[in-house]
Amino acid sequence: MIRKTVLIVGLLATVMVLTLLLSAGSPGSSAKTPQPATAEVKVDNFSFGPATLTVPVGTTVTWTNRDDIPHTIVSTDKVFKSKVLDTDEKFSFTFAKAGTYPYFCSIHPKMTGSVVVQ
Amino acid sequence: MSVNPFDIKTIVLAKHAQHVVLIHFPIALFAAGVLFDFLALQTKRRGLAEAAYFNFFVAAISTLPVLATGILAWQFALEGQKLKGTLLEHLVLACISTLMIWLVWWVHSRGRKRLEPLPNYRLAIEFLAFAIVGLTAHLGGFLSGVNGPG
Repeated sequence: MIRKTVLIVGLLATVMVLTLLLSAGSPGSSAKTPQPATAEVKVDNFSFGPATLTVPVGTTVTWTNRDDIPHTIVSTDKVFKSKVLDTDEKFSFTFAKAGTYPYFCSIHPKMTGSVVVQ
Repeated sequence: MSVNPFDIKTIVLAKHAQHVVLIHFPIALFAAGVLFDFLALQTKRRGLAEAAYFNFFVAAISTLPVLATGILAWQFALEGQKLKGTLLEHLVLACISTLMIWLVWWVHSRGRKRLEPLPNYRLAIEFLAFAIVGLTAHLGGFLSGVNGPG
């Protein structure tokens, strides 16, 4: 009887340990691999919204052209540069270093914005 | 961006864009030429026909710096990347407009050299050219952000 109980408890313990090990090592685990941060900037009515975006290091910022005319996203410091974005086209850039990144539209240089990476 | 007044990029790009300034010359001169030519045909006044010819001549000449600054803006602002959409339409229509303005001037110039009356169909060409110039200007205004805030 005791032997049978020890066997069942041992089996249960093995199953529990295996379950814990599997869940800890699974690719979907948020503790091991945090989801990369993302942020959006809308290009609309000849302006960037928000004009100044503050994000943590490693964030991928995506600009979407919601305007009816083409725009570009060009870093003043030549860190990034998009192609001409027609309506609903997107451009993404991942900011790996902290700093302030001013940018503008090269077709309409009065359109300016900046990304502050902390 | 640099604001050096002697920097070719500053001169050509949108903060001090010569293209959007110069474009008004051929548009205005060509439109006035068409009007003068139409009135010359209606009134048979030689002076109006002369005015039309010289308007077309200067309009044709003024297309050259406009085309040059437009192409330079494309090269500097967009680094010559392949155009599409409204930008491509504007470029194609601008080239057609330039050819049409030169064609109208050539028809008038040939008539003057041969001392023969100008063909009446020229007005159809002039009106067609005016419509294409207008469409090109509309797209250019749209692209320049003239409809935007500020």
